[in-house]
Amino acid sequence: MINAYALGFWGLTPLVLYNTINLGVDSGPMLAYLIMLPMVGALVLMCTPSQYTDFIKLTALNISLLSFVMSLFLWVGFDASTPNFQYMYQINWLPFANLHLTLGIDGISLFFVILTTLLIPICLLAGWSSITKYVREYFVAFLILESLMLAVFCTLDLLLFYVFFESVLLPMFIIIGVWGSRERKIRAAYQFFLYTLLGSVLMLLAILMIYFQAGTTDLQVLLTTEFSTQRQILYWLAFFASFAVKVPMVPVHIWLPEAHVEAPTAGSVILAGILLKLGTYGFLRFSIPMFPEATLYFTPLIYTMSVIAIIYTSLTTIRQVDLKKIIAYSSVAHMNVVTLGMFSLNAQGVEGSLLLMLGHGLVSPALFLCIGALYDRHKTRLVKYYGGLVHTMPVFATIFLFFTMGNIGLPGTSNFVGEFLVLTGCFQTNTLITALAATGMVLGAAYSLWLYNRVVFGFPKTHYISVYADLNRREFFMFVPLVVGTLWMGVYPEIFLHDMHASVGNLIHHGTGYGG
Amino acid sequence: MDYLDLFENDFLVSLPESFLILAACVLLMYGVLVSSPQKHALLVNVGMLVVLSLILALALLWTGPIQEMVLFYNSLKVDYYTYILHSLILVSAICIVFMSFDFLKHEGLHMFEYMILILLSTCSMMLMVASYDLIAMYLAIEFQSLAFYVIAASQRDSEFSTEAGLKYFFLGAFSSGILLFGSSLVYGLTGTTNLADLATLLTGHAAMPAYPESGLYVGLMFLAVGFLFKLAAVPFHMWSPDVYEGSPTPVTAFFALTPKLAVLGLFTKLLYVGFYDVIGSWQKVVMVCSLGSMCLGAIGAMGQTKLKRLLAYSSIGHVGYMLMGLSTGTLEGLQAMFVYIMVYMAMSMTSFCIILSLRNEDGSPVTSVNELSQLSRTNPMLALTLALTMFSMAGIPPLAGFCSKFYLFFSALSASLYPLAVVGVLTSVVSSFYYIRVIKVMYFDNTPNMHNFISLDTSKAWLIALTLGVTVFLCVYPSPIFLVAQKMALALCV
Repeated sequence: MINAYALGFWGLTPLVLYNTINLGVDSGPMLAYLIMLPMVGALVLMCTPSQYTDFIKLTALNISLLSFVMSLFLWVGFDASTPNFQYMYQINWLPFANLHLTLGIDGISLFFVILTTLLIPICLLAGWSSITKYVREYFVAFLILESLMLAVFCTLDLLLFYVFFESVLLPMFIIIGVWGSRERKIRAAYQFFLYTLLGSVLMLLAILMIYFQAGTTDLQVLLTTEFSTQRQILYWLAFFASFAVKVPMVPVHIWLPEAHVEAPTAGSVILAGILLKLGTYGFLRFSIPMFPEATLYFTPLIYTMSVIAIIYTSLTTIRQVDLKKIIAYSSVAHMNVVTLGMFSLNAQGVEGSLLLMLGHGLVSPALFLCIGALYDRHKTRLVKYYGGLVHTMPVFATIFLFFTMGNIGLPGTSNFVGEFLVLTGCFQTNTLITALAATGMVLGAAYSLWLYNRVVFGFPKTHYISVYADLNRREFFMFVPLVVGTLWMGVYPEIFLHDMHASVGNLIHHGTGYGG
Repeated sequence: MDYLDLFENDFLVSLPESFLILAACVLLMYGVLVSSPQKHALLVNVGMLVVLSLILALALLWTGPIQEMVLFYNSLKVDYYTYILHSLILVSAICIVFMSFDFLKHEGLHMFEYMILILLSTCSMMLMVASYDLIAMYLAIEFQSLAFYVIAASQRDSEFSTEAGLKYFFLGAFSSGILLFGSSLVYGLTGTTNLADLATLLTGHAAMPAYPESGLYVGLMFLAVGFLFKLAAVPFHMWSPDVYEGSPTPVTAFFALTPKLAVLGLFTKLLYVGFYDVIGSWQKVVMVCSLGSMCLGAIGAMGQTKLKRLLAYSSIGHVGYMLMGLSTGTLEGLQAMFVYIMVYMAMSMTSFCIILSLRNEDGSPVTSVNELSQLSRTNPMLALTLALTMFSMAGIPPLAGFCSKFYLFFSALSASLYPLAVVGVLTSVVSSFYYIRVIKVMYFDNTPNMHNFISLDTSKAWLIALTLGVTVFLCVYPSPIFLVAQKMALALCV
């Protein structure tokens, strides 16, 4: 029955794809379709009685896979030779106030769209059997989340960017609070919500000021608008308040380890994979090209904060006892390498930071999935109860090793290319900062290897570990796309860089005025 | 016959009001004469007839041949502004009647006068927003307040309701006195009570009034204080949480929605038509009240455990946001305020409907927030609805509450009222704390005692569905409501 249903579903896809390709040529509403697809799926599931769990799970998975395929077609039809936005589409929203929902992607946002659609099916699979309460709502929440995240990356309007940027809070708050594992989850959900909200309302004020001054919030117009230096500094700081929380930069990073530890596995995957990228994406898309002088003015601040974050969180990671917290803190370190790269404002740095975001978007979710697999079996995340897993879970040990190496930035994996390019780019602007940031790489290796040692090597702690089940087929296949992506990006990064060059060059031209 | 010729078309234009008065008289006679032993059946009967007459009044309003006119020797004015406000008042009154049936049945309040009073107060509010003269204004306000004093105390066997009625009466009468004193000062110093005449007289007085007019300034302040009392803006808010808490819930819903709209509509008219040229003298007062209300609304609700008190403080906060729009003195500010109040009406309609429909199996109503725990299990759709409404009240995009807030902040910024905008966004973050507490209780808390609620009746279910639709989908296509608000603002400023 299930197979017949799946066949029927995918039987329709050639038709859908044919249409989307055709529409893609004249840059029709393909992005709008892509954004609407999961939302429509969520509506359908919402109307399905909750006892049909098989139908709900399969429909959600199929829809998310379909949107992944659609997003791949975006890549196929992408013109790498131009920095212009592609697949442009405009929907009138508040026409008299000159606010339009403008959709479009360029080399910077293209891969984030693909990353989002890639991670959502994995999230759904991660909760396939471990989620037992509110099953329908779980799948609905992730589909809505997917829609909103895609909209964030596709929208070319400042105010609507803010709308989608914020609206991600709603499903995420519910995901942490409802499907999180422990009582502390409530505190985590609150922290996540209030930190993010407080940061972003300041951005809202800045956006409204910009709207008042320029009469529009259309990004393409704003990129050609000149703001006075004082105003740029003010706006930049307001945007920074919001993005720094999301990145997270060091004084405002506290919500992240809490939210990660308390979130369900799939929630962590999305947090690490996409939501952390929203802050850095915001810097890249808005702060740098719109406020170039303020960007130059604040570069030392970003450098200092990033380096402090890299060293501080790497050292903090070493003394954590919770598996998820370790990965969460290492995410903070990696994201601060990203900010370092993007504010070096040269082609290597920015492309490196983009590549590191993508690489981290594959490796870190994979590590969270590994920990989710352990938690599903043993119901604990404390390191001291684990040991010698290589004897009982060899496949898991192999995959965990692969991604641990990816997290360190072993040559041949995606993170190496990203970090290398970031350090190269940064070296050209500030040697001391680069040297300090490079120590983060050493520290990263220290905590990753030590973690791996403690969990996988040694003798099994049989008092605590009484279930001996290796990864099952579903879990194994969850990792396959992530492994492929990590290796591909590490071995042949040019295929990704190729589509970024034009957009990044254009960005640097905007950001510094002297061309890429 | 000659006398009627004097008001050639006036009765034609005021047909909805006249019809409502007539309907109230007829229904009152009907209720008294047919007083049957089955009191609830009579109540339902009268209630449905009230709904019917409200719908007919709406039809009369919408099909009226004259769109814009000054009536009865300049004491009433009808234009697009009042047209929309009248429609909103009628629609909300219809909703309130539908919300009440179930409540009155459960509480054993079988008085058909309740329905008649709602009809009368609706009529008075329609006159209120149409009034164009200080005397007409005061008379309409008193008409409305009297009806409200009675229904606030209608639950006679509950001491809370009696106390609420008493408090509301005292403070309402007090504020009316202040209002009247303000009106008499204005009249004494200008010799006119008509808003258009006042506007003509004050043209060119943009600077602070000189000595002879300073009494006028005092009069204006008294007027403003009276109105701010009625709106429950800080620092004149003391009555509102107690009255909200004590009154029967449908009456609270009525307080929270309709008079806010009417009083704010009239206040706006007074300030923007009559006293717009002395904006310097009232702008700061409204601004300070707006700041105070936003702060108190955010902080005061933090420690509340009762649902209705929580909503009372939240409505104080929302009044603060509306006053922010009022204090800008610009078209955009007015437009944002009207959008805000429309969205606010939809949101609080949903929340009051939900509170009304939550009733334990033994018939006792749910009063405290903690009793909502496990609502996501026992009644998932209702929990989701309340959660979305709370998120929307907190102003989280992409819900309607955000849509109405951002334009308000924009108008404040463009009128250079930076402190208002900054405090506004910060208090909206603080207030989101207690809104999400409701969500936390419903979704995250795992208390052992499970409350089972009786299922809600059809009329409330429809109301909830409709208003939730506005809350959720407004952001998808917000232009109609913005355009209506802009037309209203323009009609006011002509």
